[in-house]
Formats: sequence, C-alpha cells, structure tokens
Amino acid sequence: MLPDSKHEPLLKVVNLTKTYLEGESERHVLRGVQFEIYKGELIVMLGRSGSGKSTLLNLISGIDVASSGEVFFGNRNLTALSENERTLFRRESIGIIFQSFNLIPTLTVAENMLLPMELTGRLSTAQQARALEVLEEVGLKDRSDSYPDRLSGGEQQRVALARALAHEPLLILADEPTGNLDFKTAGQVMDILQRLVHDEKRTMLIATHDRDILNLADRIFSLQEGQLVEVTLDTAMGV
Amino acid sequence: MFLSVLGVALGVAVVVAIDLANTSATEAFRLSSEAVTGRATHHIVGSRELLDERVYLDLRLEAGIKDAAPVIDGFVSIPSNPGRMLQVLGIDPLAEGPFRSFTGGVGSGLDLGRFISSEQTGVLSALTAQNLNIEAGDSLKVRFEGQEQSITIISLLEAESEQSARVLDNLLIVDISTAQALFGMAGQLSRIELILSEESEQSAQIAALNEFLPVGAVLERSTTKSETMAQMTRAFSLNLVALSLLALVVGMFLIYNTMTFSVVQRRPTIGRLRALGVTQKEIFSLVMGEALLIGVLGTGIGLLAGIALGQGLVHLVTQSINDLYYVLRVRTWDLSYWSLAKGVGLGVGATLLAAIAPAREATSAPISTVLQRSTEESRVREGLPRLALASLGLAVTAILLLVLPGNSIAISYLALLLLILAFATATPSMVVGMARLARPLMSAVGGVVGRMAAQGTITALSRTSIAIASLMIAISATIGVGVMVNSFRSTVEVWLEYTLRADIYVSPPGLVFRRNDATLLPEIEAILRSQDGVVGAYSVRTASVKANNERADLVVVGPGPQRKEGTRLKEGDPDRVWDRFGAETTVLVSEPYSFRNDIHVGDTITMGTDQGEQAFLVGAVYYDYGSDLGAIMMSRNTYEMYFMDRGVSGISLYAAPGQDVDALIESIRGRLAGKQEVNMRSNRSLREASLDVFDRTFTVTIVLRLLAVFVAFIGVLSALMALQLERARELSVMRANGLTPRQVWKYVTMQTGLMGFMAGLMSIPLGLTLAYILIHVINKRSFGWTLQIDITPAILGQAVILAVLAALLAGIYPAWKMSRSNPANALRDE
Ligand SMILES: Nc1ncnc2c1ncn2[C@@H]1O[C@H](COP(=O)(O)OP(=O)(O)OP(=O)(O)O)[C@@H](O)[C@H]1O
Ligand SMILES: [Mg+2]
Repeated sequence: MLPDSKHEPLLKVVNLTKTYLEGESERHVLRGVQFEIYKGELIVMLGRSGSGKSTLLNLISGIDVASSGEVFFGNRNLTALSENERTLFRRESIGIIFQSFNLIPTLTVAENMLLPMELTGRLSTAQQARALEVLEEVGLKDRSDSYPDRLSGGEQQRVALARALAHEPLLILADEPTGNLDFKTAGQVMDILQRLVHDEKRTMLIATHDRDILNLADRIFSLQEGQLVEVTLDTAMGV
Repeated sequence: MFLSVLGVALGVAVVVAIDLANTSATEAFRLSSEAVTGRATHHIVGSRELLDERVYLDLRLEAGIKDAAPVIDGFVSIPSNPGRMLQVLGIDPLAEGPFRSFTGGVGSGLDLGRFISSEQTGVLSALTAQNLNIEAGDSLKVRFEGQEQSITIISLLEAESEQSARVLDNLLIVDISTAQALFGMAGQLSRIELILSEESEQSAQIAALNEFLPVGAVLERSTTKSETMAQMTRAFSLNLVALSLLALVVGMFLIYNTMTFSVVQRRPTIGRLRALGVTQKEIFSLVMGEALLIGVLGTGIGLLAGIALGQGLVHLVTQSINDLYYVLRVRTWDLSYWSLAKGVGLGVGATLLAAIAPAREATSAPISTVLQRSTEESRVREGLPRLALASLGLAVTAILLLVLPGNSIAISYLALLLLILAFATATPSMVVGMARLARPLMSAVGGVVGRMAAQGTITALSRTSIAIASLMIAISATIGVGVMVNSFRSTVEVWLEYTLRADIYVSPPGLVFRRNDATLLPEIEAILRSQDGVVGAYSVRTASVKANNERADLVVVGPGPQRKEGTRLKEGDPDRVWDRFGAETTVLVSEPYSFRNDIHVGDTITMGTDQGEQAFLVGAVYYDYGSDLGAIMMSRNTYEMYFMDRGVSGISLYAAPGQDVDALIESIRGRLAGKQEVNMRSNRSLREASLDVFDRTFTVTIVLRLLAVFVAFIGVLSALMALQLERARELSVMRANGLTPRQVWKYVTMQTGLMGFMAGLMSIPLGLTLAYILIHVINKRSFGWTLQIDITPAILGQAVILAVLAALLAGIYPAWKMSRSNPANALRDE
C-alpha cells in the first residue's frame, strides 16, 4: 500500500542530525535522517542497539532537541518551537509508549491513563468515558485503581499503550513496546496494537527488534550509520 | 551528602558552643572565687557579709587561733576602661602565708612598709598591669559606688605558673586598711578565713569557735559560697543546655532525612549489588560506614564552628550573668576535653543512630532493578493507624509526666521532647487529612497541577511527612520560645508599671543591675529629701543576709504609702498585712523566694542579724520579676531594730504635681555635683533600662532559636531535594506526557508551599503547647514566676508565613533543577 502522494505528509523529517558531546569527543548518532509519514500509516523502524532509534523518537516528540535539521508536523516546524510550545504540542498530539513502561509509580492505573489529558486542564467526561473504554479494550478495566507495581510487565505495557491512545493523538510513538516482554505477553500487546491502531487507521511509528511486528507494518525503515533507509519486508526479515 | 555533613556540623556546633560558654563562665567564676578563698577550710562572716574587725583581733589574741586571716573582697570599676571591672582582694600580708601561695610574693620582693602604710597602695600581676597600660609606680584610678580614688601600684607580680597566672589575672591586691578605705568599710572585714585541722578534730574546734564568736558572726564552710553562686545560675544554664539539645534533635531529624535520601537514591544500585551476591549484612555496614564518614566529617567541622560560635556566646552569657547575678569577667574561654568528647559523642552517635533505620531499609531493597516506591508508600499508609496510636501514647505519657508532682526540670524537658515526638508521629495522618482537604482548593487554584501537587504529598508520604515534621518542630520551637519571651516581657512590663510609681530613682552606680547594694552617702539623702519640688522620698536598702542558713537578698523599704501601692500580693491579706509589716517582725517574700524555699504565708524565716538569730513571720508573698533568686522584704523600722546598718541603697522621689521631672533632675544634679556620682533615672528611663536588661537576658535564647530554625531549614531543604530528585524520573515521564517546564515550577512550588503551610498550621498547636509548658511548667520549676500568657496573632501569623517561605525557598533549587533537566536523560536512566 503506497502513500497517497497528493496528500500532505503528517510528519516530515528533513536532514535531521544529532551529535552528542562526550567530553572532548563528538558522537554523531544521526547524520541527516530524512523521511515522511502519512496519516494512517504504521511504520516500523529497525536498527541495531545503539543505532539511534530512541534518539530519533525523542527528537520527533520534542523531548530532546536536534543538532540540526527540521521536523514538520503538518506545516508546523517543531524544531522552531520553544520548549514550552513543544511540550504543549506533545501533550495534544503525540502519544508515547516506552520500552520500560514508564508508568508513574505513585499514580493509579486510571490516574496514569488520564495524565496527558489532565495536564491540558480540560478533561471532559466524554474523554474520561473514552479512556475507560480504552482501558476495557486492553482488558484492565478492573485494575484501574491498582498501582503500577502491582501489575505484571505485560499489564503495565498495556496501560502505557492505553495512555498513549486515550487522548486520541495524531501520532503514536512507540520505543520497543514489546522489548521487555516475553513472547506470549508480547503477542497480547501486538494484538491490541493490531486492533486499536492498525484497524482504526491510527498513525504510528514503532522502533523495534521484534520481527512479528513487521507483519503489521505498512512500511519498514532501517536506521544504519545514522541514516534512515526504507527496506522491503523480505530484506527486513532477512536481516 | 554535603547537606548531611552541614546538618551534623550545625547540631554539634550549637551544643559545643553552649557547653563552651557555660563551662567558661563556671571556670571563670571558680578561678575568681579561688583567688579569694585560697586554702581556707572555713570562714567567719557577719550578718550582712560584714564583720567587725575586732572579732579578728579577739580571735588571734584571746582564742589564740593562728591560722586565721582577715579578708576584704569586692569589685571596683576603672574609669579609664569603661566596662572593665577589677577584683580587689584586701589582705593582711603577715597573716597570709598559709592561705594563698600567690600572695607569698607580696611578702618577698615587696616594700612591705609601703604596702601596709596608710598610703593607698596595691599590687597587680604583670599581665594585668600590661593590659591596663600601667607600670610599677603609676597610680591607678578606680571607682567604687560612684566615688573615685587612686591606688599607687608599687610593684608587679610575676606569676610562677600557668595556674597562678590565671588566678592573679584581673586581681588587685591591697592591704586591709587600704581596702577598708576603698570600700568605705572602716573597722570592718568581709570575713575571716580559717584553716581548721583534720576532719576528725574539726567538730570540737567548730564548737569552741561558735562558743567564742560574738552575736551576729557565723562560721561557715568555705565551699558554701561557691555552691551558692553555682546554685544561682543553675536554672539559667540548664535552660541553655536544653535549647542546645533542641537544636541537636532537629539536627538528628536532618541526618535521618539525608541518610534515607542517600539510601533511597541508590536503591536500584543496592538491588543490583544484592543480585550480584552482596549480603544484607554487607549492605548494612556499607551504609553505616558512610554514616560514620558523614558523622566524623560533620563533627569535625561542627567542633571548629562550635568553638568559634562559643566565643561569641561566652560574651552573651557573661553579660546576662553580670546583669542578673554577680560580677563575672571571663578571661579565658575554657575548652574542656569533656565538652569536646560530648560533641564528638553526640555528632557521631546521633548520625549512626539516625542511620540505623535507613540502613535497614537498604538491606530490604528488593533484588531487582525496579524501583518499588509505591509498595513502600502503601506500607506507610497501612501503618498510619499504628503511628497515630503511638502518637497518642506519647502524648499521654508526656501529660502524665507533666502532672506528676515534683519540680524536676529534667522531667519537664523530657515531657516536652515526648510531646514533640507525639506531634511528629501524628504528622503523616494529619498530612493525609489536610492534603485531602486542600485538594479541591488547590485544584481550583492550580487546576490539575494543583491537585497533583496536593496528591503528591500523600503519594510520597514517607518523605513528605518527615520534611513537614522537621519544619513543624522548628517553627513550633520559635512559636513556643517567642510566646514565652513575649509573655515574659509583657508580664514584666505590667509589673514595672505597677511597681515603679515614683518619678525619679536615685542610686549609686552598682555592679550588678538587678542587685544594687551600693550605699548612698548620708548627706545625699538629706539633700534629696530637702529638694524643692519633691513631695515624697522613700528609701530602699538592699543587703545580703543569711536566712534559713542560705544567702538571700533583703530589700528594706522605708515607711510610706508607696509600699502598699507598688506591691501586688500573691498570697496574704492586703488589708491587714501592711499594718503588721510596719510594726512587727513580719516580712514579705517574693514569689521566686517562696517557690525556691517552699515558704508561704504563716511560715517563719530565721535570719542571722546583728542581734543574733531572729525568727520572722512571713506575712505575704508578693509578685516580683526583678530577681529569680528571690528576695525578702522588710520594713525599715524592723531592719534598724535588728541591724546596725543605717545606709540606704537608693531613694525614690515623687515630684510635686505639675513639676517638670527633667528640670527637677537637672537641679538635683547641680546640688549633688562633686559629692558622689549617682545614677538618676526618670521613671520612664528606669523602665526602659529594666526592659533592656530583660531583652539582653534573652538574646542568647533568641540566637539559639534562630540557629534551630536554620538547622530546620537545612533539614527541609534536604528533605525536599530528596523528594524532588527522587521524582526526577517520574517528572520526566510527566514531561514526556506533556507537563511543561512552567508546570514543573508550578507543581513543585505548589507542593512545597502546601507542605510549608501544613507545617505552619500544625506548628501552631504544638508551639502553643510548648509555650504553655515553657511558661507554666519549666519556667515555674526553674524560676518560680507566674507569667500571663500573651499570644499575639502576629506571632502565629509569622510562624505560618515563615514555614511557607522556608518551604518555598527550599523548593526553588529542586524546581529549577527539574524544570531545566532534559527529560531524555532521566528516561534513558534505566
Ligand atoms: N546523552 C548522551 N550522551 C552521549 N551519548 C549518547 C547520549 N544519549 C545517547 N547516546 C548514544 O547515542 C547512541 C544512540 O542511542 P539510542 O538510545 O538512540 O540507541 P537505540 O538505537 O535506541 O538503542 P537500543 O536499541 O539499545 O535502545 C548510543 O551509542 C548512545 O550511547
Ligand atoms: Mg532505545
């Protein structure tokens, strides 16, 4: 399935570089990354450990700032925004799932889920109901008052998933969402991804080693030597 | 780490400083009394610390006692060095031999003839002379009771040892006749010193002496004098020590806090170490080892700081003792090994003690890499009822200790400490309750961030409640001490208003503000009484007497209506007591005297008078805040019946209606010119001077209170930093989920502000309870004063504001750090 070229891309990354300074020496992690994502796509990004996948995701979400290059969201240039504006943009438009769950240990499951919406200060009852629905869909409705450390790893990741989806963001970024899970639990999470994201045509960028996810992907990118290249499913499976 | 070292250092510094100040004052006193006591075992004194010199002659000539020496001692001021006091010791160089080794030198290298001659001559130590810029042969101007005289220094003494140098320092040695002229004591001595033989034979000798002594003269053991002096300042020093311990308690909280922080921060690391096979025991000793390091470092810094601070405090403490009790000049500050050891013990001991709980917490770190704070938090919350119960138990024990009959100050302080602990253990429950109440409000003000800030105080209860508790303790200490000092001050103000009714007060300059027993020249009394514009003149005489075998201050009041008007009775019938007071052997005692000696209306006091021992009936107990030692009030008639003394120490004058008081003072001053220098104070200026002394007395208290607040501030700072830094990751996740840097500020500020507010609120009941105990129990048990509690809303308001400000200030650094940090870093930090 090829993107509709007439449509404007949802996300456009232009010549993005990231260089870390470590004492005297420089580490060039990203050296001119360039790609576009269209609405409704599910993109999988492959890459060896240390290739810069998390770095790239952090730059897109505005958690970190690029050394050079631009990130366009629609026609908004994220790299030109201030820290504050980036944050406001992130909480409106981006859902994030981390490898290590990243639930807030001192908030309950429900509180964790509602956090991004609460932060906007405009939590409507409709949104709240919607959030509960999502929680039900990930099968954890009865755990809404539990604290994260009472949940298994898979359950925690399902909550993180629900959190990233609940406020219906334009783009979902997932950094190895199944990386910390065993085969079976990873399967459950994949099922949910399939249902909630792919079937409902949500836009998502997943960084992963998990080849099972490749089957869901609309397109596959590989991050090598600081550059992002598109690969076919076959090459990807062969890698 | 830095903060914990600072915390230990502050705690140790305060304790060592107070100790240093106290021991220096005690040691200075011991040296000055040793200078005048020497090796005497006993001495003979008169009824008013004066003794006829004939007693001495009789003793030597008729009773044939050889080891006896006459002594006159006192203090003079030196006009050329304002504020400097010189201790004068009048001796008979021929009788001195066995008594004081250092005066031996007086006999050898000295022109004995000149020393004894009618010329006013004296001897100083070389060191003191150098200090005063004087050489042998110069004459030294000294002043006593407003009269100036000069003494020719005929030679300088070189001290033979360190010890005798210290004893000799600040001492002017003169011949008995010179001292008599100097102090206006013609024909009299301060006392006769004796060396009695072995213990076993003493009782026979004492019996023989008592037989021999004339009426009014009493034989005493030589230690009694210094014991009395030590007794005088006992309560004063004890209160200082208690304050320093309070600082240490707050310091311990601080150490506990920081140790917990350092453990929590490294829980994941410790978990990994455990996974790698490090045993619980090894973890425990690891943490304790670190605590030891902190303790040793902090103690070292604290000792140095304490010594520096102590030197400042020595001045404050000496100042108060000089104002209130007796003349004291601290020459050296004394650093005893004992107080150093105490500082080390407290510093290192307290640190280790405070580290035990965190170290045990560390050993129970789960063997994994996941931070499991919420498990711990729910454990804390499950423990709330038990904590509340413990708090109740502590409070009940404290109250039982307080109502327990008895006057033990130590037990009162213990009760105070238990009450503080009771409030501290109640803190978590209170925080939960208050946070729930605050949540809707904070939510209304600050939206979701406000609500999260309120909720955050509950979710990290184990941390927040410690920070809140330590802030609460410090603030309540300021309330308690503040209300106490305020109540004290306003009670004294009211009392001064009531007592000081005359328009002008005239007295010779004395050495101790509150115990002026100097004597006005008789001609001056006559001048004052005949002054135009004066409609009433009433005399006061202050003397030191022996009552029920202890030294006591006697206040003798002349006849007149001012007695009744200026005295408020606590016990006794005001309608009848004044008639009896003027006519019979009835005396009044002040409230502290009544308290100290458990003497009440209807009891009798046996006083040593110039007519021998005489029993006096206590007719009433009156309020008096002038002296914590207490005083006995006697009418002039009665006094003149039993004592030979006719002098007066002061006269109060009532001006004619419409008379300008300042003009009156000027005109009196003119008439007195060239006679005797006197202090003349208008009613207002005496009142102000009294309050000045009062304020000076409490300077130490206020300085310590500030220190306690400072220690607490450091504590809160470290607790809040621990809390916020521990949340770095959590905040980063929130940042990733859309929390803006501004919201981070808002979150941290609202949270710390709320915590400060909670601490401020809780400190009010605790502070008032502390004030109540300080005023009604501890002050009562230390000094015996009845004080009216005076609570101003301002003090309470200030406390809350102080708490909020301290918390907000302490929140700035963490907030700044959190808002600046790159969330990507914290997120990577797995
Ligand atoms: N703050 C930093 N300072 C220096 N180097 C950094 C910093 N952050 C990341 N790096 C380096 O950048 C490179 C890319 O890191 P990144 O976390 O993006 O890799 P990744 O592809 O996500 O790896 P993994 O699959 O293991 O998660 C790594 O070599 C890492 O060491
Ligand atoms: Mg990564």
